[in-house]
Amino acid sequence: MIPLASKGAPVQSPFTPEQQKRFDEGFERAVATYPSERRRAALLAALHLAQDELGWLPEPAMAYVGHRLDVPPVRVREVATFYTMYRLRPVGRHHIGVCNSVSCWVMGSEKIIRHCTERLGILPGETTRDGQFSLEEVACLAACGSAPAALVNNFSYVENVTPQSLDALIKKLRDEPGLTMAPGPMPRLPDPHHHDERQEAPQATGSLGQPALTTAAEAGSTERKP
Amino acid sequence: MKLLTGDWDKPNSWALDTYKASGGYKALPKALKMQPQQIVEEVVKSNLRGRGGAGFPTGMKWTFVRKETSFPKYLVVNADEGEPGTFKDREILLKSPHLFVEGLVIGCYAVECHRTYVYCRGEFRDSAMKRLQTAIDEAYAQGYFGKNILGSGFDLEAHCVFGAGAYICGEETAMLESIEGRKGYPRLKPPFPANAGGGLFKQPTAVNNVETLANMPPIINLGGDEYSKIGLVPKNGGTRLYAVSGHVKKPGVYEAPMGISFRKLLDDYCGGMREGSTLKAIIPGGASSAIITAEEADWASDFDTLKAKKTMAGSGAVVYFDQTVNMAHALANVMRFFAHESCGQCTPCREGTAWLSRLLDKIVAGKGAKLDVDNVHQIARQMEMKTICALADGAAMPAKSYIEKFRADFDALVRG
Repeated sequence: MIPLASKGAPVQSPFTPEQQKRFDEGFERAVATYPSERRRAALLAALHLAQDELGWLPEPAMAYVGHRLDVPPVRVREVATFYTMYRLRPVGRHHIGVCNSVSCWVMGSEKIIRHCTERLGILPGETTRDGQFSLEEVACLAACGSAPAALVNNFSYVENVTPQSLDALIKKLRDEPGLTMAPGPMPRLPDPHHHDERQEAPQATGSLGQPALTTAAEAGSTERKP
Repeated sequence: MKLLTGDWDKPNSWALDTYKASGGYKALPKALKMQPQQIVEEVVKSNLRGRGGAGFPTGMKWTFVRKETSFPKYLVVNADEGEPGTFKDREILLKSPHLFVEGLVIGCYAVECHRTYVYCRGEFRDSAMKRLQTAIDEAYAQGYFGKNILGSGFDLEAHCVFGAGAYICGEETAMLESIEGRKGYPRLKPPFPANAGGGLFKQPTAVNNVETLANMPPIINLGGDEYSKIGLVPKNGGTRLYAVSGHVKKPGVYEAPMGISFRKLLDDYCGGMREGSTLKAIIPGGASSAIITAEEADWASDFDTLKAKKTMAGSGAVVYFDQTVNMAHALANVMRFFAHESCGQCTPCREGTAWLSRLLDKIVAGKGAKLDVDNVHQIARQMEMKTICALADGAAMPAKSYIEKFRADFDALVRG
């Protein structure tokens, strides 16, 4: 086993005292889920807790979680980069994930994604310059009966999405605090989890502009013309 | 016949009172008076097949776990519902969490597990999982969990854990890895999870789907034989929750006898196709099952019939497509999913799914040639049976079948 983080320099907590309190409470509960000799199994839960406080997982947060669980930094990184819900850079304070799996796709999810792109001026995987919104195309949310579906701020389901309901949602979100987001680098870089070749060609314009977007989506649309 | 969904139309169907008013928590005391082995025998007789996708006989799985002599034993519930098209477990957890909880306690008693884990997908945390946690807390207060449950001497504690967005963690050994706090790489089998060395923390482990366990109260109440007779096809007992989506009038989760035909499911439950639509194709059991055509809609939807027809009943996710869908575009969508979700452990899958996805994107962009379509089929064939888990097979099956059954849709998009 690789020498543990705890043997090196002291690891600083990335949290404010208030955040620390909430993290510690959740951490104790998560560790108690497992037999005492298996406390390292709480790694996924601990990373979720850190992300709840910071919005994403900066390097010091990963180091700190590893330190608390006696898990080598490399294994923390391995887990944080494997699972798509862990964010490796900041996202907007309101994160909209639109499902584009097959059931949502046949019910017009690409139209919804296009609508988001037009309204927000960003492509999936990007964040608006003001840090308010980010957009992502996500995989099946298990809400196929009320397709198209979307997931707001990681955990809230929105179902039977239409362009109109989406506009209302965006309007509503603007007035809400949304996710806490610790400062971090380059918010407009595409999400590293996102390897979508279709998005290389077209570029959206600014947050108010008219993006000249013709994506492969249009060719693949299954909606019937009126 | 409604064994699982009887409460779903009632207000507050998820509440303990609602569940008890309709006869809930009557099976548990009955089960705790039986010997664990007797319960397993009833489940064997019930011909209950695992509802997660593989359709493995649940009674047989539990028999394997019971034969092991290594303790402790675990029962782990797979609530990582992620197969595109599937949404039945989420509905169970939202609408009848207590039905599942009662089944969970019965299942744990049957395999002599004293600590169970329910692995929910991370996205469920504030919705379905919250409702489940409430139900578990209520069940603790009623004495259905904890020490000496209902005076039987049986102890059980339940823990909910959650993932972080990885389709592969629905594969049972990847899920065990994830519960143990690692990335979700499926394990090489054998040893299988039911065997010592293969399960959670290397202990014998029964891995069951949410819906599978929700069937325990009806099996105990009716008896295995009666339950089995509800199924329309031999060796496929009970009812099944069909999660129907696509171009139907009324999409949703429908409980129907196991083995109902896709035509009957569409017409009798979903109100037929939406206005102006004619049926073109059906995904019979989640995105990783082979597609079937409108002419094949009369097929029974049970595990054995569909296996013989070279597709699968899978997770019970049925997607109906109408004439507006070009199947090449549909396959390109499905393949983008698999390319994204391949965990990267095995080369044929990591490279194969990405390669298929690139070729299909090229085809649907109008830049493909006939040879590309042939290549998709060829690559898919070479991915089968070569990897640790079934994700590659689940990507190859649609790739092959969409082309074999809807070649014209592909040819219309490519040059000579």
